Order: sequence, then C-alpha cells, then structure tokens
Amino acid sequence: MNKLMRRYVPFAKAGVQSLIIYRLNFIGFVVGGLIYCFVMFYLWRAVFDSNGGGAFLGFSMTDMVVYLFLSNTTSQLIFSDVSNDIGQEIRDGSIVMRLLKPVNTDLSYMFAELGAIVMKLVVLLIPMIVGLEIYRFCTAGVVMFNIVNFLLYLLSAVLAYIISFRVNLCFGFIAFYVKNLWGIGILKNSIIGFLSGSLIPLAFMPDGLRICLEYLPFASMSYTPVMIYMGKYGVYEIIFRIGLQILWAVLLYGLSKLIWFGAIKKLCVQGG
Amino acid sequence: MIYAEHLRKEFQKIVKEPGLKGSFKALFKPKKETVVAADDISFHVPEGEILGFIGPNGAGKSTVIKMLTGILTPTSGECRINGKIPQNDRKNYVKEIGAVFGQRTQLWWDLPLQETYLVLKEIYEVNDEKFKKRMDFLNEVLELESFIKSPVRTLSLGQRMRADIAASMLHSPKVLFLDEPTIGLDVVVKDNIRQAIMKINKEEKTTVILTTHDISDIELLCDRIVMIDKGKNVYDGSLHELRENFGQTRELIFETANSSNITEEQFRNGLDLGGNDLVIESDKNNFKVKFNSRKLPVGEMLSYTLSLTKVKDISVKDADIEEIIRNLYRHGGESDE
Repeated sequence: MNKLMRRYVPFAKAGVQSLIIYRLNFIGFVVGGLIYCFVMFYLWRAVFDSNGGGAFLGFSMTDMVVYLFLSNTTSQLIFSDVSNDIGQEIRDGSIVMRLLKPVNTDLSYMFAELGAIVMKLVVLLIPMIVGLEIYRFCTAGVVMFNIVNFLLYLLSAVLAYIISFRVNLCFGFIAFYVKNLWGIGILKNSIIGFLSGSLIPLAFMPDGLRICLEYLPFASMSYTPVMIYMGKYGVYEIIFRIGLQILWAVLLYGLSKLIWFGAIKKLCVQGG
Repeated sequence: MIYAEHLRKEFQKIVKEPGLKGSFKALFKPKKETVVAADDISFHVPEGEILGFIGPNGAGKSTVIKMLTGILTPTSGECRINGKIPQNDRKNYVKEIGAVFGQRTQLWWDLPLQETYLVLKEIYEVNDEKFKKRMDFLNEVLELESFIKSPVRTLSLGQRMRADIAASMLHSPKVLFLDEPTIGLDVVVKDNIRQAIMKINKEEKTTVILTTHDISDIELLCDRIVMIDKGKNVYDGSLHELRENFGQTRELIFETANSSNITEEQFRNGLDLGGNDLVIESDKNNFKVKFNSRKLPVGEMLSYTLSLTKVKDISVKDADIEEIIRNLYRHGGESDE
C-alpha cells in the first residue's frame, strides 16, 4: 500500500502543481459555476414567488438555495476531465509516453485528478458549506447543520467521484475508435447535466421519468449526495442509495476495463 | 535479446475525396483503405549491441519501435524482448526498457526537471543510493546541472532532449529504444547524447535500438544496421558490409589552377561511362568527379584526369555512407517487388 502510494502520489502532486500554475483557469471554473448558480437562483425565485412563496413539491425556497449551490459545488468537486485528457493524448499521440510507464493507466489518471480534488475540497466545498449554513441560520433562526449527514455526504461524494471518473474513462476510451472526442464530449456533458439532476432537481420531474433517472448512474453523481446532506432521505433510503452507488461504481469499473482491452488493440498513434 | 518475427501492422484509413463534396461523402459513407505500415519485418538483436534502424521518412520505423515497446499490437507476427512478449504484460515489461521518442517528451511539462526525475525514481523503484549515483553519472555526461531546476516547458530543444535521454536511462534499462534522439540538435548536444549512449552501452551492456536520419550517428555508434523501406526489410548487416557491397561510388576532388575548361563531355567521351556512373561538379579552382569504381578503377580515372589538366592537389573520399543509403532508398524498395 505504501509502495503504491509512493508511486502514484507524484501524479497527484503534479495535478496540484498544474492547478496552481494555471490558477486563472481554475478561478474561471469556480466563478463561472457561481454565476451559473445565481442565474438559477433568480430563475427559481421567480418560480417560487409566482407560487405564493410557499413550499414547492416539498422544497422550500431555502431548500432550493441549498440544493442549487451545493449540487453545483458537488458537481465541480467530483468533476472529472479524464475523457478530455485521454482524447487530447490520443489526438496528439502523447498517450505513448503514458503507456511506456510501468504504472496502471487508470490510477495514473485518477491520482492526477485527486490532487485537484483535495484543492477544491479546501477552497470550494468548505467555504460553500459554511456559507450555506450561515444562510440557513439567518432564514430559519436555528442551526441546521448535521454532522452525520455531512459525513455521509462526503462518503457519497467519494462514490460519486468514482462513478463520474469511470463514466468519463469509458467516454475517453471511445477516442481510441473515433480519434477526436470534441463532439462526443459536448454530448456527454449535456447528457450528464440533465440526467444527473444538476439542471433541474430530479424530484421535480414526472414520476415515471424520475424513478428511471434515479436508478441511472448519473443521478448518483450529484443528486444523491446533495439529497443526503439536506436530510431528504431516511435511514433505509440512504443505505439503498449508497448501495446503488457502489453497484454502479463496480459495474462501470468492469465496463471501462472491457472497453480498455478492446481499445488498446485498436490504438494507432497519430503523427509519428 | 530482441527477436522480431514477421511483424505486420495494418491501419484503417478513411480516404476523403477532395473538396466539399468529398467531405460530405466521407462523412456519410466513408471509404476505408488498409494501409500496411510494417510488412513481414524480422530481425534479431543480441545483447549489448547497438542497432541502427534506418529508413526514409514514413518507412515504418516508428511503427516497428512502437510494436517492440508494447504500445501497438501487431496485426500478425510476434516480437519477444528479453524473453517477454511486450503486449502480454505491458506494465511489467516496460520496467526493463527505456524509450525516447524525439518528437515527444516524457518529462512532466509543468514541473521543474528535477521533480520529473524524482517521480521516475518512485515509479521505477530506484533506491536512493543508486539514484544518486545515476544522477551524478547523467549530470556528468549530459550536463544537466544548469537547467535541472527550471520547469520543463521553459527548456530549449537541446536541453529537453538531453533531459529526455537522461530520463530514459535513469532506471538502468536492459533495452533502450531511441527514436530519432538527435533530431534538430546542434553538434555539441549531439555529441553529448552520443557519449551517453556509448558509455551506457559499454558499462552496462545495454542493448540499444536507434533510429536516425543522421549518418554520423550510425557511423559512430552502430555495430549493425537494419534498413527498412515501405514497411519492408531492405538490408540487414554491418555497416562495413554495406560499404563493400553497395559503396561502388568513389569521389575524387582535384584542385587546379583553372578548372573552367573541364567539362563532363571530355570524361564521357574518353572513358565510356554511362549516365549514372559519372557525375562532375566544378567551380572556379576545384572539380569533383564521382564515379562508379566497379566500372573503372580509381587509378585509371586518376591518370586520365592528370592527362587532361594540370592538378595542384588531389583528395580521395571513401564511399560515402549517405550516398549508399540514398541509393538503397531509391532502389531497395523496387528490387524487392
């Protein structure tokens, strides 16, 4: 285990380093997300106002604020860009250098992202949680922070990351077949945006669709952890949801391996 | 050490007809074509040898190297290096090899160079003592000291190349694949790199496969060469043999008081040499005679030239390897078909 860590930690360090070097990029990523949150906030406030200001399908306006901001932060936290990285490396052929290293390809990609995730946890998630709790305290007048829910949220978010990573890995390996991922990347982002409930809470969708979507891996990516944090789930539901996440993580792990073994035989290196 | 047996690699290529219409056609009904990048390539490299693997651009050199390093899977045929088939267990296999692809880098782009070496140290599990010794050695031969603390993206090509070579040697690989390691470098850096290759080959019996377009790399480093063209083996043997067999061209350079009266006609009429067998280049005081020494002994050529004009100085150039290879590139592929 120790040896394993020593071998992969450098990948994480390199991830943090490039985050720091290209920090404007990171700031843009965060600020862009916040602007998006505020747009959604005003949109939903209009919806709630026209509804007389009361609760809407079990969501109060305070809930809605927490949902919007936290689900955005969560999807930024668990954001995986590995499909893009693989696509890029295949397009310019630099995947060669990765394949020449005696390391596990999946893990080397994963650790490069883990570094960035730790950074995001510190500079993004913690301030966001503190901010949201202050907001909730101001509107409700009582402290609503629940440490158990928070810890379960973290657990669920870790699983969510693994799912997100594996989904991206599967998409990335498609690049071995199609050589250029740009179009597929856009398709992937819109599918995930809608199906994961980060655009519209799944709770607001028609029952039939909602139940379908809740079972898909995409819902596990930000909807599940946020709902757990907000205390919308009972004990059994939490166990069930986390179990479902684990199931998806395992299934997607298998799928990504399967695609990989097919893809590596297909590899042709472009440009020398 | 290295066995390549009937390696073949095919690629699918989509052929696009020219123009917008062609683009639409390719979008909806792509026409596929199979390209054979390597066809029935076989050779064997014993331990401790430096093999020059040469051929014109697009001959399939890099494809073969990528199959040998386990990155590409051959369509058919097999390679075995150090008793291992690279494609079967890539992760373990690559521990024993080092590779440099001249047009790519394995260095961490955003990190100071030193960090890359520390990362590689962990990845290849090199212990502290060995690492220190190794770095000292590489520092000495490749002169990394002056830029080892700079981020890789700020290095010049020559510095980066030296750094890349060092990175490939750090874990004392048994086999070293160098794909155009001297591309675009100046004389001093080339010399550094050649020294490093030579030393490591001598001291550790590292087997080296080297592709290059620089003939002096081959002359200085390689015991043997394998030449391929259009995906096929064209030549396999020592440089010496190549010279013997194909080096029929000799070059004589004469210095005269005035060589403006020398014409190719004079030589052609007097010596009965055909179009390809004789080339004369002349400027004010010098002229160069390149001719086929099988058709005409050097002595005869000399005495004939001396009878034509007054000569101040003569120099004779040995069969130029570059010339030989150029000839082989031109004719090798055709004679095979």
